[in-house]
Amino acid sequence: MITAETAELVESPCSLIVGTVDATGLPDASRAWGVEVIDDGHVRLLLSTQAEVTRRNVERGGRVAVTATHFFTFESVQLKGVAIRIEEATPADRIRFDHYCSGAAAAIAESDGTPLERVMRFVTAGIYACTMTVEAVFDQTPGRSAGAQLAPS
Amino acid sequence: MTTDDPLPIALSEISACFEGLIPAEIATASADGVPNVTHLSRVHMVDDERVALSNQFFSKTMRNLAENPHACVVVVDPLNYDSYRMMLVYERTERRGPIFERLRRDVDAIAALTGMAGVFKLRSADIYRVVEVEQVLAAVHVAEQ
Repeated sequence: MITAETAELVESPCSLIVGTVDATGLPDASRAWGVEVIDDGHVRLLLSTQAEVTRRNVERGGRVAVTATHFFTFESVQLKGVAIRIEEATPADRIRFDHYCSGAAAAIAESDGTPLERVMRFVTAGIYACTMTVEAVFDQTPGRSAGAQLAPS
Repeated sequence: MTTDDPLPIALSEISACFEGLIPAEIATASADGVPNVTHLSRVHMVDDERVALSNQFFSKTMRNLAENPHACVVVVDPLNYDSYRMMLVYERTERRGPIFERLRRDVDAIAALTGMAGVFKLRSADIYRVVEVEQVLAAVHVAEQ
């Protein structure tokens, strides 16, 4: 399901955006703050404790979409699946979070010349971990192939 | 969610978010509850209650909106990197007229700047009513409180 190329992108300090949905069908958009690929069909998302709607949606075992986009090449993939477990962030998660924030902020600052201290204002106050079963992977890179399903093939 | 109350944050107060300097994100959901999330090059303010989004590639987003007219969009203020989460309800699609032309010029300019001319192409201008706006809090806001 998750190829080496997909894993490399989603684990990099790229743009990570998250879509969830509540029980009435209302969508929610937020960010992820790091991803760890656990195995071929599971990822560990680091989500913001300040994104309360997202937390409610994943706590009820809702469906999740995560789109990872490289800041410079616009290479992009979307993982779709289900939230299966929520837990407090571990020390390893916090290291991944710090690495992600510093890498993403540096990439944004380099891409558009924004001062790094201004970019860092977007960083969330806290994280928790959400394990997601990945059921499908889609190509989201801008162009004619955008939206094509990559896995399962 | 109601659509009659005034928005707690006027769209004109966060007009910098609509300049297209930082990509926005949009989440939609299908009728059976499967979310989709993607980037938007720009969100255009139409009036105090409406925004327009350029429809270029996101056919899954359009399919979802045909089934479920609600969308959630996050925009970023390039002046201070504050983010705002907006709940939208799809109203209509325009394929000609002043709003469409404004979006088409913008898409063409972004395509030229990013080397994506011929890839970015406006298909329609989609008009949404904004029914909620809230600031997305970050660590810096906790520190400031």
